Amino acid sequence: MNMMPFADLARVDAHDKVRGAVAFAADDARPNLAYGAFAVATIGKGRLASLDVAAAEAADGVRLVLTHANIGAVASAGFIMGGGYGFQSHQPLISPEIAYRGEPIALVVADSLEAATHAAALVRATYETAPFAVELDAPGVEVVDQAETPLAHFIPPVAAGDADAAYARAPVQIDARFASAPQHQNPIELIACVAEWQAGRLVIHEGTQNAEAVRHGLAAALGLDAGLIDVVSPFVGGGFGQKNSLQGHTVLAAEAARRLARPVKIVVPRAQLYHLASFRPANRHHVRLGADRSGRMLAAIHEAQAQTSRHDLFPGEYATTSARLYGIADFRGKDELLRTDAQTPGYMRAPFEHIACFAFESCVDELAYALGIDPVALRLANDTTVDAVTGRPLSSRHVGQCLERGAAMFGWERRSMAPGSMRAEDGGLIGWGVAIGTYAGLRAPAIAKLKLTDDGRVEIRVGVHEMGQGVRTALAAVLARKLGIAPEHIVAIIGDTRAAPQHLTAGSWGTATAIPVVEAAADALLARLAELAPGGVSNREPAQILRAAGLPELAVEVQGKAPGQPDAIYDRLKAGLPSIGGPVYPEFVTYSYIAHFVEVRVEATTRRVRVPRVVSVADCGRVVSPRTAASQVRGGVVWGIGAALREASEVDPRYGGFLNADLAEYALPVNADIGAIEVAFVDEPDTRFNSAGVKGLGEVSMAGVAAAIANAIHHATGKRLRELPIRIEDVL
Amino acid sequence: MQPFDYVRATSVADAVRAFGAAGPDTRLLAGGTTLYDLMKLGVETPAHVIDVNGLRELETIDTSQPDELVFGALARMSDVAADPVIAGEYPALAESLWRAASQQLRNMASVGGNLLQRTRCAYFRGGEPFACNKRAPGSGCAAQEGIDRGHALFGGSEACIAVYPGDWAVALAAFEAQVDVEGPHGPRSLAIEALHVEPGRTPDVETTLAPGEIIVRIRVPKTPLGRASTYHKIRDRESYAFALVSVAAALRMEGDMVAEARLALGGVATRPWRVRAAEAVLRGQPFTPALARRAGEAALSGARPGRMNAFKVELGIRAVADALSIARQRG
Ligand SMILES: Cc1cc2nc3c(=O)[nH]c(=O)nc-3n(C[C@H](O)[C@H](O)[C@H](O)COP(=O)(O)OP(=O)(O)OC[C@H]3O[C@@H](n4cnc5c(N)ncnc54)[C@H](O)[C@@H]3O)c2cc1C
Ligand code: SF4
Repeated sequence: MNMMPFADLARVDAHDKVRGAVAFAADDARPNLAYGAFAVATIGKGRLASLDVAAAEAADGVRLVLTHANIGAVASAGFIMGGGYGFQSHQPLISPEIAYRGEPIALVVADSLEAATHAAALVRATYETAPFAVELDAPGVEVVDQAETPLAHFIPPVAAGDADAAYARAPVQIDARFASAPQHQNPIELIACVAEWQAGRLVIHEGTQNAEAVRHGLAAALGLDAGLIDVVSPFVGGGFGQKNSLQGHTVLAAEAARRLARPVKIVVPRAQLYHLASFRPANRHHVRLGADRSGRMLAAIHEAQAQTSRHDLFPGEYATTSARLYGIADFRGKDELLRTDAQTPGYMRAPFEHIACFAFESCVDELAYALGIDPVALRLANDTTVDAVTGRPLSSRHVGQCLERGAAMFGWERRSMAPGSMRAEDGGLIGWGVAIGTYAGLRAPAIAKLKLTDDGRVEIRVGVHEMGQGVRTALAAVLARKLGIAPEHIVAIIGDTRAAPQHLTAGSWGTATAIPVVEAAADALLARLAELAPGGVSNREPAQILRAAGLPELAVEVQGKAPGQPDAIYDRLKAGLPSIGGPVYPEFVTYSYIAHFVEVRVEATTRRVRVPRVVSVADCGRVVSPRTAASQVRGGVVWGIGAALREASEVDPRYGGFLNADLAEYALPVNADIGAIEVAFVDEPDTRFNSAGVKGLGEVSMAGVAAAIANAIHHATGKRLRELPIRIEDVL
Repeated sequence: MQPFDYVRATSVADAVRAFGAAGPDTRLLAGGTTLYDLMKLGVETPAHVIDVNGLRELETIDTSQPDELVFGALARMSDVAADPVIAGEYPALAESLWRAASQQLRNMASVGGNLLQRTRCAYFRGGEPFACNKRAPGSGCAAQEGIDRGHALFGGSEACIAVYPGDWAVALAAFEAQVDVEGPHGPRSLAIEALHVEPGRTPDVETTLAPGEIIVRIRVPKTPLGRASTYHKIRDRESYAFALVSVAAALRMEGDMVAEARLALGGVATRPWRVRAAEAVLRGQPFTPALARRAGEAALSGARPGRMNAFKVELGIRAVADALSIARQRG
């Protein structure tokens, strides 16, 4: 293995993106497009009593109105965490049942978007209403213990040692409760697809993180042979987990396109996106942390409750995460799922880790204050090399280095411990907070097809999606270095089911999934080239060797999977099913880590909280694309600032659904909210985990940011704030 | 959005005539940043749209008159905010504009259309299934037992507690601006404070403009209060957000003594909310932080908070005090 760090390669698609040359599905404007728009349910739950689409059908330009009455044999493609392909098992329009407010009741397809939107507003419905519950404490919410569900097979409850007894004995005890509002992803590219039938084949253009699930899910929903479906997703304009599986609109677009024999485009408007796609569920936590007087953490109990839907069990993995922050021998976790009348929530960036780290790392800060120990020193003292939950070694863990480097970069030694002890010149309060974050080291199977042609072009086809994280740049970086060619000569065909099986790209496993396999493919290609060049390959470009050998092209195919996965995993991959390995592998356990240092300024009077600077140091194994990796971390920090101080999807229990469903009212952070974000990497390859030494980065970037902010606010004000988002009324 | 017909007016007189001929289902189009938004939401469903863009006579920004600043109704928010005289001599006016919306919106939006923006109450904007007397008179008010964090402390009624969301009108109220209108019955002029009305029992009625009346210009009396002024806006993020609480504050100092003060509140009332009682607390007193706080208390006294917006009382008091000290530093 080449042990040199990777060079700082500019994002390969940067120019195209800036010039608007990149083709996003939401921007598709092919000839003869028909446009779809939804009419949605206005009740919290119940059933359609009548649905009058006559006016919509009669409106100018309308070609088709699909409802449960005429949908025909369309079925649910199932829930991705229940053996299916969809973000939820509830497929709108296939029955008169209304599961939640905002669910589509009719799809209107017309010659223009304006005509479709107008006609959708003419759809009239009457309902039989049923009682519903949308808040965690509402009557009618059903509480499910995850341990008693099939989810426990792959998310076993954390049970290391005897946490209750050890906690009871602990001389120092921290006991606190935390909560977070539901939140929505709000990608800039809205949920969108174009469905087109071409000579008996269905082609879907959609910004998705999971082209293979869209393909197989459509096959299941429409009763088609998956071999007749292609899904193309070369770029995703922001996924963040919201585009990680089949969504109901795609099924309906495909059906409408079939009936009209015309391409159909649906772009779900922002307000409807709050109900047609997944979101971060409301959740709350009870954490107990016991330690001795020297600061050694002895025991912890993390009990979590999170919202799910009536029709699916979206899992909770909160304690699974917090148990990995330190080497705490006695740890017990419990995850309960609360069934509410909403769409099924899903994997929004750092879905469990953000909030688990918020809760646990806030408690660690409380412990530091209870003992009068510096928060960085306390964390360093509880570092580990063994996974306490399983007893297996960690394949790599450099969180101590993250803390030490971060502290130095931040100037942590100038911090005075007492809350309220640091003041700005304008009289404002300064708070400095720290927290660490962790995220599982996961890997999925992948097949890479690498082709060299005699004009010097290198084409890589592999299962991975570009959603802005920079995987095209990472692919170019590793291939350019391996093959000794310029990145411009590399073409990546990804997110395309015609190119290679496309496993879901999420959970920060994209790099660890694709890069080792692509590197192996490059090695295989080099080996073939060596056979072709008996005189040696040194100082010759691959294409030169090819030409000298008189060959027009050379192709290799390599596959790879996570340690311990059976060969049958490739069948799951090809079937579009989640095939994720880790973080517990036969010989070791893998996690990524990060340390965040945050400065907040709390205005003296009106108490606006500002975050002028953040320092983040990540341990994500080998950094193959420094430029886009640093961007990932900055993005994660921005998300953390949003989650900690801004974002909440508002719920009115009388109506169901979400209230503040637009970008003006859902307070995402804006540029003016973001100060300096300094990023560094440990950049130590984890070659036990995979041959490329890479671990995940996108998700861990966000984990711990909210805790560091809350800890900084405590340092500034003396207030412990345990509910997110923290807003002005909480600090006034 | 329902189909509508569209004409471009060639003059103010032409627009008045076209409006009269087309009837009450008509809306003027200026920047469109409110109108199109509300049309897409189904709040506005005009049958006729009269585009007044391009009427040069409405685009004036004239700061050269001896005793008033004159803004044509179509002057863009961004242009007025960037005018050197406004930015330098009337910072509260400039800040009320550039602290609103986003640069893209301000480039489109007119200072006349701005006055007529409508509440951000989510129940109003959402339409069905929400009860909303403003959108569907008689249907009730979902906000009063609902999410009322952004709702009014002042000027609400049993029928409606929606906040008037604009910033510019609040600053104009502090400076006692006049609004000139043309209509089927000729021109008239009204004080900015007489433009917006409290909801009372008819929250769907928001202004005193008669059907067919067009705002042609806004006039602000020149005043020494301009210099020592600020528009202090507290919001949930640093930009691109409506006010939680905002304060237009202006002072005329004589030495350390407050000779004259103007205060108006935004984000907390059903219309731009001038607080004369708070101004009186300041007048003739030596300026101190304690006095500024007392003015804030006077400004927020009588607030009627709901379930989630009580914090705005204390926030408002502090915002008034801060606004006054910013204004004080400028004068
Ligand atoms: C996302 C977003 C954020 C915003 N944030 C803020 C903010 O923070 N603070 C703030 O103050 N504002 C904010 N706004 C509101 C914005 O300032 C107004 O939409 C804008 O000023 C309206 O001006 P316009 O020219 O676009 O009006 P238009 O949309 O063209 O018209 C608005 C209304 O006025 C009528 N009208 C227009 N011109 C005249 C006239 N001359 N005479 C009579 N009637 C007329 C129209 O018929 C219409 O009913 C925001 C808007 C958006 C969309
Ligand atoms: S506050 Fe006014 S606008 Fe909002 S719901 Fe009530 S009546 Fe409607």
